[in-house]
Amino acid sequence: MSFAAPRESRLLVYVTALAALLLTLLPLPQMVSVFWPQFLVLTVLYWSTMTPHASGMLVAFLAGLMLDVLQGTQLGQHAFAMSLVAYLAIRLHLLTRAKPLFEQSLFVVAALLIYEGALWAIDGWSGRDANSWSRWLHIPTGALLWPIVAGLLGRLHAPR
Amino acid sequence: MAFASGAAHRPSTRDLAPGPRFFVCAVLSLVLMYYDQRDGWSVSIRYALQAAAYPMQVALGSPRQLWLATTEFLRSSEALRAENAQLLDRERQLSLKAMRFEALEQENARLRGLANALPPLVSRSQLADVVASDLGRLRQRLVVNKGDRQDVFRGQAAVDAAGLMGQTVRIGPWSAEIMLITDPEHAVPVEFVRTGLRTIAVGTGNSTELELPYLPVNSDVKEGDQMVTSGLGGIFPAGVPVGVITRFHRDPDQILAQVRARPAATLDHDGQVMLLWFDAAHPAAPVNPKLATELPPATVAQPVTGATP
Repeated sequence: MSFAAPRESRLLVYVTALAALLLTLLPLPQMVSVFWPQFLVLTVLYWSTMTPHASGMLVAFLAGLMLDVLQGTQLGQHAFAMSLVAYLAIRLHLLTRAKPLFEQSLFVVAALLIYEGALWAIDGWSGRDANSWSRWLHIPTGALLWPIVAGLLGRLHAPR
Repeated sequence: MAFASGAAHRPSTRDLAPGPRFFVCAVLSLVLMYYDQRDGWSVSIRYALQAAAYPMQVALGSPRQLWLATTEFLRSSEALRAENAQLLDRERQLSLKAMRFEALEQENARLRGLANALPPLVSRSQLADVVASDLGRLRQRLVVNKGDRQDVFRGQAAVDAAGLMGQTVRIGPWSAEIMLITDPEHAVPVEFVRTGLRTIAVGTGNSTELELPYLPVNSDVKEGDQMVTSGLGGIFPAGVPVGVITRFHRDPDQILAQVRARPAATLDHDGQVMLLWFDAAHPAAPVNPKLATELPPATVAQPVTGATP
């Protein structure tokens, strides 16, 4: 695993994060949108795991902040959850990076649970409606799609 | 080369260890959340970010806009002619109604002892295009393409041709976010046309349903009853159609009835929204529009827990 050129991969991280942000927020019929995976978290997870030095927590923070503004949630809510997930992924990247994709999906489930759990807790504390179970439904789809997301992003940054 | 630059960057402050970096991010977001909850200075940060987010919102809304434009373009001329005839018919009916309405209004003014006829209630209106919509269970919001620069203010009423849609909650320079009446955080004071009974309609997170959680089991309400805004609350004017009761269930064990209503406005497929400015001198105008802009949005009425399923 060689060091990627920092500047180049930073740009790539920003571009893919923006794409993932748009993909996450795509307006969809309700039946689909409930299961629609949070592509932004998956992307942040990928970059934090694969290039823990180049990918910033800053990207995660800023992307989360944009998500807050676009979804109209409490400012800082997604930013916090996103940087928490990025931090854990960076800290544990040696543990997760070399695992087969199927096994990584399990880590993704854990990460998504932490992410949604943080959002849920903040929703609860700030007095918003937090007891809808449908908010957790994106986790299985996200984990199932992880191999595809990881494969696509892997193709982008290191053509083997 | 790549390796060298990477190595040279390593000790700089930019590459703080993940721990401290996370600490900074976490503290920053907690501070933001704290002030955002209390509408502190984070409002101006949000305003700036909203400007940055606007192109993204337009991009996200574009597939829908494209679809609407395409279907509009592909409609046959016969369908358009039929619609035209229908609209002309409707226009005739409406203008007849308007004539009667004007006479009634003058009569009303005389009866109230007012010297001259009232000023028009709506002093200004502005059509805005919906650029993004979020119609989930937790949030029912629209983003429209008119904002601060077009004098849109917070707590402004938004309607469509059939009835009340919601109110603006966040204003960006060129965009505004509208909280629909079906948002679970939204509550609108209503009045029944048949009985004059006043209550509050709360959103359910489903854009075709409203809930009325505060009606006692013995209240005089039937399915099919029309609701209009009561004018209380200082945001909406009196008399705007809100919806029709679809379900009224009395459970003898409970104090409150289980009541559902269907919104009059077609909240889930409106492409345009009408924003309204009111003449404060009119008796049907919201209590105090100035007050409405300073208050936090008139939203948070939590349903009584246990009273509803």
